[in-house]
Amino acid sequence: MKKTVLKLTVAFAILMMFIGASAFKSDSGKAISDFNLRNTNGKSVSLSDYRNAKGFIVIFTCNHCPFAKLYSKRINDLSAKYSALNVPLIAINSMDTLIYKEESFAKMKLKAKGDKFNFPYLQDAMQVVGKNFEADHTPSAFVIWKENNQWKIKYKGCIDDNGENPQLAKSFISNAVDDLLRGKSVTNPETESFGCKIFYRK
Amino acid sequence: MKRIAITLSLIFGSLFGNAQYNNLWIPDTLSGTNFNLAIKDTFAQIVNTGNQTITGGINGKFWGPTLFMNKGDVVHMNVSNNLNDSTTLHWHGMHLPAVMDGGPHQVIPPGTTWQPYWEVKNDAATYWYHPHLHEMTEEQMIKGIGGLIIVRDAVESALPLPRTYSVDDIPLVLTDRDFNTSNQMPLLPYGDSAMVNMTLRPQYTIPAQIVRLRFLNAAIERGFNIGFSDNRTFYVITSDGGLLSAPVPLTRYVLHAGERIEILVNCTGQNGTSVDLKAYNSTLTQTDPGGDILPANTIFANYLARIDFNLLHLNIGAQTTNPITAIPSALTTVTTIPASSADITRNLTIADGPQGPNGVIFLLNNQIFDINQIDYNVPLNNTEIWQISNTGNFGHPFHIHDVQFNILTVNGTAPVAAQAGWKDVVYVPAHTVVKFIAKFEDYADSIHPFMFHCHIALHEDEGMMGQFIVTGNTTGIKQLSGDENLFSVYPNPTHDKLFVKFNDANQSAYYIKIFDALGRTMLMLPRPQLQDGIDISQLSKGAYSILLTDDKTKQSTSKTFIVN
Repeated sequence: MKKTVLKLTVAFAILMMFIGASAFKSDSGKAISDFNLRNTNGKSVSLSDYRNAKGFIVIFTCNHCPFAKLYSKRINDLSAKYSALNVPLIAINSMDTLIYKEESFAKMKLKAKGDKFNFPYLQDAMQVVGKNFEADHTPSAFVIWKENNQWKIKYKGCIDDNGENPQLAKSFISNAVDDLLRGKSVTNPETESFGCKIFYRK
Repeated sequence: MKRIAITLSLIFGSLFGNAQYNNLWIPDTLSGTNFNLAIKDTFAQIVNTGNQTITGGINGKFWGPTLFMNKGDVVHMNVSNNLNDSTTLHWHGMHLPAVMDGGPHQVIPPGTTWQPYWEVKNDAATYWYHPHLHEMTEEQMIKGIGGLIIVRDAVESALPLPRTYSVDDIPLVLTDRDFNTSNQMPLLPYGDSAMVNMTLRPQYTIPAQIVRLRFLNAAIERGFNIGFSDNRTFYVITSDGGLLSAPVPLTRYVLHAGERIEILVNCTGQNGTSVDLKAYNSTLTQTDPGGDILPANTIFANYLARIDFNLLHLNIGAQTTNPITAIPSALTTVTTIPASSADITRNLTIADGPQGPNGVIFLLNNQIFDINQIDYNVPLNNTEIWQISNTGNFGHPFHIHDVQFNILTVNGTAPVAAQAGWKDVVYVPAHTVVKFIAKFEDYADSIHPFMFHCHIALHEDEGMMGQFIVTGNTTGIKQLSGDENLFSVYPNPTHDKLFVKFNDANQSAYYIKIFDALGRTMLMLPRPQLQDGIDISQLSKGAYSILLTDDKTKQSTSKTFIVN
């Protein structure tokens, strides 16, 4: 029963966000504070490192989730395309490494190497960034955009609408970034994200 | 031109009407005495177009393999939890020790392997396995985690019955699910779409002879009133836990959540025809699971309430060689437990409780389940009558672990013929008193309880559950302090096997758990057989601890060892 109440609360919150989004189109979305996380190459990464960035594609993903595994190539392609347009892509792993052995930093390194990631793959060891974004599943995708010197969430949800068949998929992420690059508000600012649940330690 | 095209498509549409169907998926099989079951998060293309659906599967994409077991065999289960969450796996209907039962107390954390084993004492029938983690059962069952168990024995094997799996002996797991616009399955007790073996709108070809269909209702809440579109007679041959004395001819049968029946259906001489297996749920009422119509803006929106709908389109094809062509006149001798042999009658109640956020909260014995409270102590070898009085306005399928029972009466009347055998789920309709009798044999355990509960997963998660321990024949008194010299482990360091040596040769292990250096559970071994050592070859290099609960004192002692 408790869970249902929670679900309804979440659904209500999402609904309110929609209403909010449509009423105040120009500055919609939660502001995200900058972070400093360790990349698989050993260096740390912050949003402020990217001086020319107009916005970011932020993907919460992980090593073991079968649905997330489908997206490595697509994320590489998105990164290649949009970092050239000053919208870099950053992937973050917020999974609890104490519970999931597969999500260790060592395994993240192997994953980044094996899948030839052309973007930073960051470990959110304290889970603070995941909580700040309210990322609930892997994979889940966000587009944040610079507005009044703040990073505002402009899109949240899934990467596209077909995990197994990329050729049939409609890319929500591409559409959102393209809208923003054209100076428009995002046509479809929110979709459902699903895959493996991210459990947050209390 | 357009009109011609439409006419043509109409003609072809009616000729090849099958195009609307998906072929029924038949679960893979595992047999023998060692079963490897890997539970995992996965996904499957369930809806024909669009995105894949996030599911849970055992060894595969959705649902799990059918396990074939022989009565008398000792079966060893190797259950690995690769889910993103803890789970349990309950062997529904099996008579086994509580510590092997897979109820809410045998939690398997993510990344852990659980190795229960038991002697198959059940009679030939169809059983099943499913998650039973308290407050998570509905969610994990909606994901599709579960599977069938088919037990064979000498009595059933001697009968002229169909038993070629997927040919003339077909498993049919009935469920319903909702699919949202992203093709995902929300956490709801009722779905808009009926499914058989996790297939939407299925069809299957059966031979023109006597065919055996094994039904399981694996739905969260919905009951199914099973029948055929030509109203043909079918013959029920089993209740949940064994053969009936003789096939029972029927044209409709309501199967509730958790229940199983096997039926025979005669398709002799019908090659080239087809028939639909349907749910005649227009007969259900507001007080039946699946028949209730509640406001559409609640979680109980029930699109399939009180309508008849298709379950499975059956094409009848060619007869096989050596077909079964007759319905047997008798099956077995069912020796039910006489009411006069009962040592005790326990009175249980089902009632409508307070209003929760989504409607009434249902109560078992006027309380909400407390995992730390033992409701009954049942002496080993007790014969007990359980009388369940439902004073509420809704019916509930009541399930008890450990035993198979005989229904004595439903509102004072003897059970219908199709339920006059061995059962482990009984439907207790609104304003009805059901009495059953069972004998609690073989397995006493002073620590691990067995459960009894409503098999509607939502109700069970909300606390419509209780627990009992079977007492006697064990020493269960905890001593004040553990004994560091109780046991030793060798070799240490080790790399493939770890041996346990007790200082007292009469001592044995009740439970062993192995943890890694960060406290993650690696292995859970209920009543491990230690003569050949513990296989630790799957563990990576590092320091581990072994926590051993001994059989005599139930005290737990820990030692460390190194894997190199």
